[in-house]
Amino acid sequence: MNETGRDAARVKAPGEAPGPGRGARAGWAGRVAARVLTVAGVPALLVLAWQVYSSLSENFYVPAPGRVARAFVETWFSERLLDDVLPSLARLLAGYALAAAAGVGLGVAIGLSPRLRAAAEPVLEFFRAIPPPVLVPLIMVLAGIDDGMKVLVIASGCVWPILLNTVEGVRALDEVLSDTCRMYGVRGPSRLRHLVLRGASPQIMAGLRQALSIGIILMVISEMFASSSGLGFTIVLFQRGFEIPEMWSGILLLGLLGYTLALLFRRLERRVLSWHRGRGVDRA
Amino acid sequence: MRKVYEDRGVEALREVTFEVDAGELVCVVGPSGCGKTTLLRCVAGLLPPTAGSVRVGGVPVTGPPPRMAVVFQEYGRSLFPWMTVRQNVELPLKEKKVPAGRRNELVAGALAAVGLADVADAHPWQLSGGMQQRVAIARAVAYEPQVLLMDEPFAAVDAQTRADLEDLILALWRDLGVTTLFVTHDIDEAVYLGQRVIVLSGSPTVVMEDLKIDLPPERDQLTTRSLPRFADLRGRLYAQIQRARGDR
Ligand SMILES: Nc1ncnc2c1ncn2[C@@H]1O[C@H](COP(=O)(O)OP(=O)(O)O)[C@@H](O)[C@H]1O
Ligand SMILES: [Mg+2]
Repeated sequence: MNETGRDAARVKAPGEAPGPGRGARAGWAGRVAARVLTVAGVPALLVLAWQVYSSLSENFYVPAPGRVARAFVETWFSERLLDDVLPSLARLLAGYALAAAAGVGLGVAIGLSPRLRAAAEPVLEFFRAIPPPVLVPLIMVLAGIDDGMKVLVIASGCVWPILLNTVEGVRALDEVLSDTCRMYGVRGPSRLRHLVLRGASPQIMAGLRQALSIGIILMVISEMFASSSGLGFTIVLFQRGFEIPEMWSGILLLGLLGYTLALLFRRLERRVLSWHRGRGVDRA
Repeated sequence: MRKVYEDRGVEALREVTFEVDAGELVCVVGPSGCGKTTLLRCVAGLLPPTAGSVRVGGVPVTGPPPRMAVVFQEYGRSLFPWMTVRQNVELPLKEKKVPAGRRNELVAGALAAVGLADVADAHPWQLSGGMQQRVAIARAVAYEPQVLLMDEPFAAVDAQTRADLEDLILALWRDLGVTTLFVTHDIDEAVYLGQRVIVLSGSPTVVMEDLKIDLPPERDQLTTRSLPRFADLRGRLYAQIQRARGDR
């Protein structure tokens, strides 16, 4: 809305059109160049350093970037995309969705009920303190070694930050807003939708963001144990077969994957929390 | 009615008894911290009284009554920041299952009445304090309440806006015949708006005075406030409040 206001002000002064127009375009090109440099500068330097190191050291385990790039294209633009990458992603999303549903659902229930909270909070803190990867062997025993196990591992690691943040968010709901709902007959599902979930959404989103990186880690780790497909499995397979450039390309792919998911998440967060950011800016 | 906050052992209201007739506009004044907000929250059914009872239209209040609207003292916090001004005003009507056509009419009418028709699509945090206050008032008005409670609604707005809002409340009250309980710490405001003014003492809080305001029903910022009778009433209330403070 602020930006709209500024744009409107700009539109109102078209008198000096050509001069500033060209100037603005040049400035725009400059800004794009600067942005490209900022974004690509450090990665380019890293690749360069890698190139220099690999050509000097001849270390078998550190192949040249060009070699890894070729391995990347050959390895991943193949049926592996269907056989390994997509199933991995599907399990990640399934586990993450399960954790989100359970975490938000339970979190809202616990956050709204002081008695439930008093009973549950110490237990929750305890479970949160357990490092998620140690759950893998346990869940393998309990749930077997199929897809279900992997989804369960991912979900059981992701659920804690979502749950605890949701509890926190629901607890911090403004009581004046809560009273407003009571006065104006906003209750039940409508209260949940308009007050509880929206009010807690900054914390819920923070929990979901933490859970996303945990989920990626668990996706890989769950595939390194007793598995026959998936990204983690393939990377370990390459490592055992001394296919070093291929192994590196897998690591690269994971990095890109994490980066893309984080980017997508940020876009979602911007949409969901636009009111929150706007308010923060206004108050600052 | 009596109210003690049990958890901290604070006695907010010792013994407060009064009646408000249907369609009446009554102002409540008292030193700050004397329990005005507590009183309003008990009347609204948001707090249970420790002893005694609240009745609205003869029915004992056990929770928020259906056709009652409140403008909270913390009006800024009473607006949903994730909704636009329009959505804020509209939500209670949706809950009341008012049909869409009528709903739009009511929302547009209420926003126009408080002079906010052109910021209907803004979010509350993009507005000034006075404008937020008017959103809260518009929401209460659109709800078509039978009883309207207001807690120091004009404490945070500038003098001109305040005068405008006072006249708005008077106009709404006259047009809609809403029974109104208006809490303020401003004696002038209480005399200007009220048909009656109830003065609360300092803690332990009791009703100190229940004063009928026998000014002409048509009020006007300039002429009403310069009537000799206005000065009389104000002086009398002022002395009462001084005593309320001194008694503590
Ligand atoms: N939720 C609460 N718990 C305990 N004490 C409270 C609470 N709310 C208000 N009080 C106390 O009750 C008294 C009256 O407060 P309040 O009704 O807000 O006064 P006013 O609105 O007249 O300024 C004050 O002493 C205040 O500290
Ligand atoms: Mg108060």
